[in-house]
Amino acid sequence: MSQTKHNRTKGSHAGRILVIATHTFTQLVRMKVFYFMGFFAVIVIASNFFDLPQHEGPESVGANVLRSIKSWSLGAMTLFSVVLSVVATALLLPKDVEDRTLYTILAKPVPRFDYLAGKLLGVLMLVFVSLACMDLLMTAVLHIRTGMVVAQQAEMAAAMGWPQDAIDSLRSDTLAHGPNAALQGAVFAVFLRAAIMASLALLISTFSTSTLFTTIVSFLIYFIGHFQADARDVYLHAGQAGEGVFARLAALLLSLVLPDFQLFNVIDAVIEGQALPLLAVGKLALVGLYYALFFAFVSWFIFADKEF
Amino acid sequence: MKRFVKYALVVLALLGFGAARMPYEAGLHRELRDAGLFPPALEIGTREKIGQTSSAVALGGLRTLVATFLNLRAFTFFTEQRWADVESTFEMIVDLAPRTRYYWETGSWHMAYNAASYYINDSKLPPLRRREAWRSSILRGRAFLERGIRNNPDDWSLHANLGFLLSDSNKLPAFRDTNEAFAAAAEAYRMAAETGRALGYVRRSRFYALARVEGRENEALALARELYAAGGMNHTPTLLVLLLVLEAHENPSMDVAGRAIELFGDESKAYEALGGHWRRTRERFPVHGVAGGLQALEQKLKIPAENSIFNEPPAPPIDLDQWFRE
Repeated sequence: MSQTKHNRTKGSHAGRILVIATHTFTQLVRMKVFYFMGFFAVIVIASNFFDLPQHEGPESVGANVLRSIKSWSLGAMTLFSVVLSVVATALLLPKDVEDRTLYTILAKPVPRFDYLAGKLLGVLMLVFVSLACMDLLMTAVLHIRTGMVVAQQAEMAAAMGWPQDAIDSLRSDTLAHGPNAALQGAVFAVFLRAAIMASLALLISTFSTSTLFTTIVSFLIYFIGHFQADARDVYLHAGQAGEGVFARLAALLLSLVLPDFQLFNVIDAVIEGQALPLLAVGKLALVGLYYALFFAFVSWFIFADKEF
Repeated sequence: MKRFVKYALVVLALLGFGAARMPYEAGLHRELRDAGLFPPALEIGTREKIGQTSSAVALGGLRTLVATFLNLRAFTFFTEQRWADVESTFEMIVDLAPRTRYYWETGSWHMAYNAASYYINDSKLPPLRRREAWRSSILRGRAFLERGIRNNPDDWSLHANLGFLLSDSNKLPAFRDTNEAFAAAAEAYRMAAETGRALGYVRRSRFYALARVEGRENEALALARELYAAGGMNHTPTLLVLLLVLEAHENPSMDVAGRAIELFGDESKAYEALGGHWRRTRERFPVHGVAGGLQALEQKLKIPAENSIFNEPPAPPIDLDQWFRE
């Protein structure tokens, strides 16, 4: 009974995708990509030492160091996750062709969509696990440091004769810069941006002739994607600004073709201590899912009858 | 399917997909901006100043990281006393991270306090230029803080810092109209208190500033009575003396010594408090009735004439000519 169920799962699309994803994940892990975690640990620990002199009162003690830890950590996470998702995805297809693994897989009754989806999922699993590890480290360091800052502030405030309600208010202000739900939302936004980049790199790699081409074009799109919202604004408000037809068409083309990466810049607001509503995170997740699915389907459409 | 047709279909799909998502993304963008989750677009001038690499990093979604790096650079400039560089770096920093209170406060502190103090002693400049550099540093610090407030109107600490700067006795000569400076300080403290998150001292600081605005004594007295009635931490010696002084202003025939004893508990405490207030000439607090009150208390306490507080020369007002001599 259990064997039949196992065979049925294995024979289904989901089963096949999962097998390929797990294999891809293992393949990437064997490339020793997790070594960058060592660099990340150094970055997070180093960010603790940028506690610059403050200008007054207990409320300023350690105010900058918590922001510094978040800023360095989330910055490193963004960089690592984008690089990892682009490079890992760009490597996959050419490597499978070079190792002739691709021929073995496609010779079996494996739909090409399952193959691509499995590859993409494998990369996303790798990015997710990497981000989870980095998040764990950042949260731990931030938790410890927040505790130290809160204790230091409370001690200084008590010495200056602050009343308890003022000390409590200060504590709550400081805790807003510590590990909280908004920070986890920001890490999720980092993951979503990396997921879009991975699916975009997959799409490019289906028609690209080299890994280098895929990597370069992906990074170009990544940077230009941060201007997409500006192009959209130019198109939508072209009448008011008096732009010409050509400028308007160029802006329209850019905003239709490129992903809007500026949406994920909410990370900056979280670093500055603002709350990130769950609804906003949900809407960003929808955007990420929309891009990932669309790019995956277009990749399959190109890859479906590609000759090797 | 022919390759050309296939790629044409892909392009069409990209355009169609783009057209479908555009209204959603534009709406979400607006929504996030309204919620204060997006900083304003980066100024072209800032992009040029921070250099191509940093600009690319900032535009790649890492604005706060670039701001952190620049903050470290600004600290180096501060230790090297390169004040113009400190200022221009903080201009870039706040453009990158306009919602971070720390950068506004630190930038303003460097300009209004550190750079200004440096110019008092900078022997390389002639007195007149030092004096002007001191004054303009303080004014730039004020303007920087006011810009921070415009960007973050709900931040109590920025308002409170502005109030502190405008009522700092060592900075007062930099402002052309002292009365206007105290009025602006009181207003800044009022705005800080109105956010509902300010610490208790902010309301008292508002009163201390308001008490020094000529022509608004009645308003200050009403606030003093309100704070006094609230009790607790508000019963500071400064607040009690100013309450007494403003009451004496309202009613010049009042028995100042008697009221001082009532407020401070006994004659010697009242004398000590009024004496302390009498000596704080540099802070420009009003002194209505204080001289008479001190004389009456000296009589009550039988203080010999040679030990009278009136024999002590009052602290001279800040003399900029003395500060900025050759």
